[in-house]
Amino acid sequence: MPATTAPLPVLHFRDVRRRFGRLSVLRGVSGRVASGEVLLVTGPNGSGKSTLLRCLAGLLAPDDGDIDYREAMPDAAPLSAAERRLRVGYVAPDLALYEELTAAENLLFFARLRGVPVELGAILLDRLSLPPDRAVGALSSGMRQKLRWAWALLHRPRLLLLDEPFQNLDGAGEAVVRELLEEHLADGLAVLAQPVDVEPSASWKVAEHVELAG
Amino acid sequence: MSSWLAEASAIFAKDWRAEARNLYALNTLGLFAVTTLVLVSVGLGPMGVTAAGAQVLPFLLWIVLLFATSAGLPRAFVQEEETHTATALRLAARPSAVFWGKLAFSLSLTWALEALVAPLFLAMVQLSVKSPGLFVVGLVAGGFGLAAASTVIAAIIAQTRAGSTLFAVLSFPILIPLLLLVVELTRNAVDGATADVVLRQLLLYDGSVAVAGAMLFPAIWNP
Amino acid sequence: MTETLSAPTSTHPSAPWWKTLLAWLLWLWITVVLVGAFTYAPPAKGFVNLYSSRILFFHVPMAWVSFVAFISAGVWSLLFLTRGRRQRHDLAAAVAVELGLIFCILATLTGSVWSRIEWGAFWNWDPRQTSIVLAMVFYAAYLVLRSAIEDDQARARLSASYALLGLVVAPFLYFVLPRISFSLHPAPVVNQSGQVDMESRMLQVLLGGAVGFTALFFWLHDTALRLRLLAARNDDRR
Repeated sequence: MPATTAPLPVLHFRDVRRRFGRLSVLRGVSGRVASGEVLLVTGPNGSGKSTLLRCLAGLLAPDDGDIDYREAMPDAAPLSAAERRLRVGYVAPDLALYEELTAAENLLFFARLRGVPVELGAILLDRLSLPPDRAVGALSSGMRQKLRWAWALLHRPRLLLLDEPFQNLDGAGEAVVRELLEEHLADGLAVLAQPVDVEPSASWKVAEHVELAG
Repeated sequence: MSSWLAEASAIFAKDWRAEARNLYALNTLGLFAVTTLVLVSVGLGPMGVTAAGAQVLPFLLWIVLLFATSAGLPRAFVQEEETHTATALRLAARPSAVFWGKLAFSLSLTWALEALVAPLFLAMVQLSVKSPGLFVVGLVAGGFGLAAASTVIAAIIAQTRAGSTLFAVLSFPILIPLLLLVVELTRNAVDGATADVVLRQLLLYDGSVAVAGAMLFPAIWNP
Repeated sequence: MTETLSAPTSTHPSAPWWKTLLAWLLWLWITVVLVGAFTYAPPAKGFVNLYSSRILFFHVPMAWVSFVAFISAGVWSLLFLTRGRRQRHDLAAAVAVELGLIFCILATLTGSVWSRIEWGAFWNWDPRQTSIVLAMVFYAAYLVLRSAIEDDQARARLSASYALLGLVVAPFLYFVLPRISFSLHPAPVVNQSGQVDMESRMLQVLLGGAVGFTALFFWLHDTALRLRLLAARNDDRR
């Protein structure tokens, strides 16, 4: 394998299990996705798609199994859950931003937290046609979804975890975020969880299709 | 990557910016405190208390502060969890920054509350303080202990289903030593006595809770 | 996946021999202490009722054990958080708190009975009485916290954190309480004539009781923990 100085993000998870009380939600899920690829996760409601993504993001600790995500050379150590949390880009229906603040103020806050240039927020808001000075509480659900994308991409993550990322978006909105996803896939990877009926873009390189049973 | 201090300051600033939009926490704290103060004053009657009965007054002051902070401080974490903004914070900020940023916010609220309540209290119960310097030191140090313990416990209960009722149950045992120490200190301030030993123990409590809280916070905040 | 149980070699699965031996020793020891409390140790003169002092042979060890329970809950909680989040440590902490609460209640009851006989009142808020009430309140708060969390992992780490916070704060009570009220509690040295050094036979029974009750606590703890672990494993299989 040719030596390369560019980091090769790879996500590999094996036999991930998670229970809530007596309910076994994830019963040994495995998958692998590398830079430039998309891992599709589908399944009916309650099959554990969101739970899997939360585990991958480091928001939930699995009861069993292994999550191996590395951004450096293949033989470097995988990132810990704490490191993963700060690195990933995460879009999910239950992620919200501060309602009393405007979209611009929200992104400014998170840019400060992440130590990225504060202008990036304005650029993303413009790209997604979001009004920067309206309080988030006053945004429509479609706009909130676009704002979630802006938040997720703010720090140029290598790994995107997308849980129902196209919900509430109109045609134009969905087109823009698909564009953003493609740009991301130039050197990043993505895990996308959806109910079955969403069309993958032609340009996506689907690494695997993990189907979770209900 | 930004520094820990920059992250904590950003969180502190964000909390105040959000607070400035609706003044919810300040209103809750203030209203609760003033209502309790009025209750105390009415209960004591127009003549106030006798010299002997004045022993109980420092205790009443701190009960008012304890009740008000129990009502208003847990919101720092409970609201983040209820509105689901906690997820974004978990994914963007280091746990230590969240802890110190939130502690700074709770602390500023507590000291602001004390600045309102203490003079009102002294006036309403007609209490004169012989060592005002020590009195203020007690407010500052006691307020720190209240804010620090409240921050840790708020972070715990925010992740349960029970919320604010549980806050009182959990914080009471933890705050008893603080209450006893700071009431004794305040009493000494009123009487004009020295209180080196008590002050030292109070500061030790503050330090211990802050350090223990900082060490436990990653386990509380993250899975 | 079904599991086939291997045929047991006897009708009852047996504990390791040394555990059985220790358990028998424990019961022997406790019996000796009980008998000694009522016969061997002399009654303490200078007390209202000569025979009421015997309650101390139970009250003091039980109060001591509730202190032991508190410390061990803290230790198990620390082990949980720092040694790989093992379920065993979490359940051990919870069991320690539950047992500690029981011993606290018993210590309070025996203490108030004796207090009534000796000083005419069931309760006086002296520092030791206050601290045992606060310990009970803390234990109860810990258990309420556990009951308010559904997810096992969250319940374990949040209650462990709370227990450790309590452990950090508890020593301050030890310093503060004696200052704020006088103590009705006798210094722990009463003898036949109510003077300073404890009479040796009483001391023997008292220390024997302390050792015995502590061993009893750990035996109860071990049994209850094994039961909890089995129940948890049973849940996992479903």
